[in-house]
Amino acid sequence: MSWIKRLLRPIGIVAPYIFRNSQTVAYPTERLIFKDRFRGRHKFYFERCISCGICARVCPCASIVLVPAEGHEKTYPSIDYNTCSFCGYCVEYCPKQALEFTDVVELAVKDRSTLKYSPEQLSVVPEIKDLVPRMKRRIEAYLTDKEMKYRKVKDV
Amino acid sequence: MSEPTIKPELMRISWGPQHPMSGQTRILLDTDGEKVHKIIADLGYTHRGIEKVLENRSLLGGLIPIERMAMVDTANISIGYVTAAEKALGIQVPERAQWIRSLVCEMSRINSHLYAFGLQAEATGYFPAVFIWTTVDREVLLDLFEELTGARWSFNHFLPGGVHKDFPEGFKEKIIEAAHYLRNRFKDYWNAMIENPMFEMRCDNVAILEPKDALRLGATGPVLRGSGIPIDMRKEEPYAAYADLDWQIITEDACDVMARTKVRFHEIGQSLNMMEQIAKEIPEGEIKTRFSPFARAPAGEHISRVENARGEMSIHLWTNGTTNPYRVKIMPPSLRNMYVFERLAELSNMTIADIPVVINSIDPWYLDADR
Amino acid sequence: MNYFNTAFGTASQVQQNLSGILAYILSFLSANSKPILQVLVLPGLAFTLVFAIVAVWFERKFLARAMLRVGPYYCGGRSGVLQVFADFIKLFLKEIIIPEKVNWLFFAITPVMVSMVPGLALVLIPFDANWVLWDIGSLGLPMFLAIMGIAPLMPIFAGWASNNKYSFIGAWRVAYMYISGEIPIVICAASVAIMAGSFNLVKIVEAQKNMWFAIPQFIGFIIFFIGLLIESERTPFDMPVAEVELVFGWRTEFSGILFGFTMMAEYVMLQAWTLLFITLYLGGYNGPIIMGNVIGSHIFWLLAKFAIIVVFVVLLRCVYSRPRMDQMLKIGWNYLTPIALLNLFVVLALKLWGIF
Repeated sequence: MSWIKRLLRPIGIVAPYIFRNSQTVAYPTERLIFKDRFRGRHKFYFERCISCGICARVCPCASIVLVPAEGHEKTYPSIDYNTCSFCGYCVEYCPKQALEFTDVVELAVKDRSTLKYSPEQLSVVPEIKDLVPRMKRRIEAYLTDKEMKYRKVKDV
Repeated sequence: MSEPTIKPELMRISWGPQHPMSGQTRILLDTDGEKVHKIIADLGYTHRGIEKVLENRSLLGGLIPIERMAMVDTANISIGYVTAAEKALGIQVPERAQWIRSLVCEMSRINSHLYAFGLQAEATGYFPAVFIWTTVDREVLLDLFEELTGARWSFNHFLPGGVHKDFPEGFKEKIIEAAHYLRNRFKDYWNAMIENPMFEMRCDNVAILEPKDALRLGATGPVLRGSGIPIDMRKEEPYAAYADLDWQIITEDACDVMARTKVRFHEIGQSLNMMEQIAKEIPEGEIKTRFSPFARAPAGEHISRVENARGEMSIHLWTNGTTNPYRVKIMPPSLRNMYVFERLAELSNMTIADIPVVINSIDPWYLDADR
Repeated sequence: MNYFNTAFGTASQVQQNLSGILAYILSFLSANSKPILQVLVLPGLAFTLVFAIVAVWFERKFLARAMLRVGPYYCGGRSGVLQVFADFIKLFLKEIIIPEKVNWLFFAITPVMVSMVPGLALVLIPFDANWVLWDIGSLGLPMFLAIMGIAPLMPIFAGWASNNKYSFIGAWRVAYMYISGEIPIVICAASVAIMAGSFNLVKIVEAQKNMWFAIPQFIGFIIFFIGLLIESERTPFDMPVAEVELVFGWRTEFSGILFGFTMMAEYVMLQAWTLLFITLYLGGYNGPIIMGNVIGSHIFWLLAKFAIIVVFVVLLRCVYSRPRMDQMLKIGWNYLTPIALLNLFVVLALKLWGIF
């Protein structure tokens, strides 16, 4: 009667799932630690930029425009996050590594015109705990034999 | 669009865009009760004009829009365009880069097949339990992608001449650990789902597609291999490192929905074998050759054919000596399989209850079909 | 007695007569305290509503755990108990949209009927030898099956009245499904009545004092359980409401509190059939007496068995996929009905040879 055994075996497979940990992240209270290469918001270094304009030319979404900035004599990139696709060409092809990626993804605003970041705004990156005030822990994922679990790495 | 007129004794149901399981399309069904007499697929809801967009980007910048064509299977589409661009520019790719490309493509294929598997389970009424489990398992793969490339699905890892970045520290052990974890999970899926008599009842002998019909109508991918015909672009015109890797083409002879589901399932197993082989035997070397983002390709016409998770995709590229291509023509696999789906109503008996099961066994991705 | 006429008399007469009305009401309440308690609390209004609320919460949490999620989390402090109340209040406050060209009388009435008709059948279930709301005597079992026989008409009317192709398909699927599920249930119930020797539900429970009927009639036990799933439209047999094929079957066009009623219908039907199942096969309220309190322990054992069966039915929801319509008819007529008849013959044989 292997037919009956095959009919009843799924109950035995599904039932133990009730006792496993849930694999969800309770977002404002916990936040994942992203890996090193994660492509979040940009960070700009004024002192390294030479105004060559390669970032503006290589950007496939036409999101970078060189604008003058206060207190500096050359023009510097301003990134429009309405159209930026976070592809990474501007970071990779900058000859002086003046642009870098951070792991900030909390970019939501109420007014779209404020998403055009000027060079001064790009050079200052706020801390995650200021952006997400309800956060209490940073977690990361690890694998055991049967399941993927989340463990706490540090308190905030 | 002007639809064909309907016979007076039939009822036309619009499996429309507002439907829990229709995806981003509208399918018109002519039924008389439960049996479906005719299917008319009304695609085009997500047409974005990617072929025209690619004419305004350089060969390097064109990789970004074309990735957005199919979100679960990004690497296999990128590699089609990159291979065509390399043929146009005349660049050779070093060997380590080819192996890394194969690794990313195979992980992307597992990603897509897991997603299709979960949708198939949901379509047979299996309540979204299996769909959520496959989403959780895809998290393991997405974490690996994030570590290697920097993003979870729009990785943009290939460029003409190689790949952007090399393996980070300790990555090979993580690949082997993830492959071991996924193999354990598949035992659960096999026993709880595919060997489940109620799932078999739903999937056996449904929508049978004979081999001669499959070849005549132009099926491709797991739809073709589920009818017993062993055609796979990775063996016909080997690109990346597939000629050096150790794998087989999976075919099944039953020609029904269950055969296609099993083809996808076993293809995941083959991809896991390839992942482990790459992690152990990848050769050392460079990862990119010299390439300028503003390179100009000489005038010419180049074709590349690759194997997506859903079938064969071909990209036809015309260049004319400027940085941007002159014309790009993409032939996606889902469009060819949707044509087969329309003819399946005449070839076999289907009821309304079979429609979601059959759609998910053909596994179209409408963003792919509309470009 | 014309209380209403004399109530408009003089002040002292009003006072005398009002206290007469109060005295009448109080004497009515104290004389019929037990039926009123039964109607309002158990097995009446409060039991049905509390079960519907608890079952919805439990199902959402249980299925979420089986899917490795958490379920309702924020409403009501980490366990989400108030989520069901919040959804209920939201449904009350939503607009009821009645499309054009529907038959509005049927449209408005069928959701209420479909959730209250199984509630009527609940009045027949004995919670103790003296705690039956409607003690009909030897017509208990046929009355229950007769009331539940009206149940499939409501979804059919609702689907037809909605003027929508998906609802229409859902309506005739209901008809197909009930045709194939009703006969095996009635045959199995008849074989239980033969073995117990009477149609009286209290006597059926009393006849199971020594051994539950599930043990000699285990074939009927399984067939009745499958029939229970068919009749209450639970997964794996929820074809009329197959969300992936027909948008929501016969429930598509309802919105607001009418939708709330159609959702509650599923749980009330499950409650009615499960209680009958326990009464017929699992010994009803029999069980060891706890602390000398006979009525209390009988009610406790019935509710405990009820809880276990409901947990099992909810677990089956995430394990099996649903069959197609023609496969459903084939199961009902080719497999369930002959096996139910086989069960009937086994019971007749056992009864003739005097074993039971």
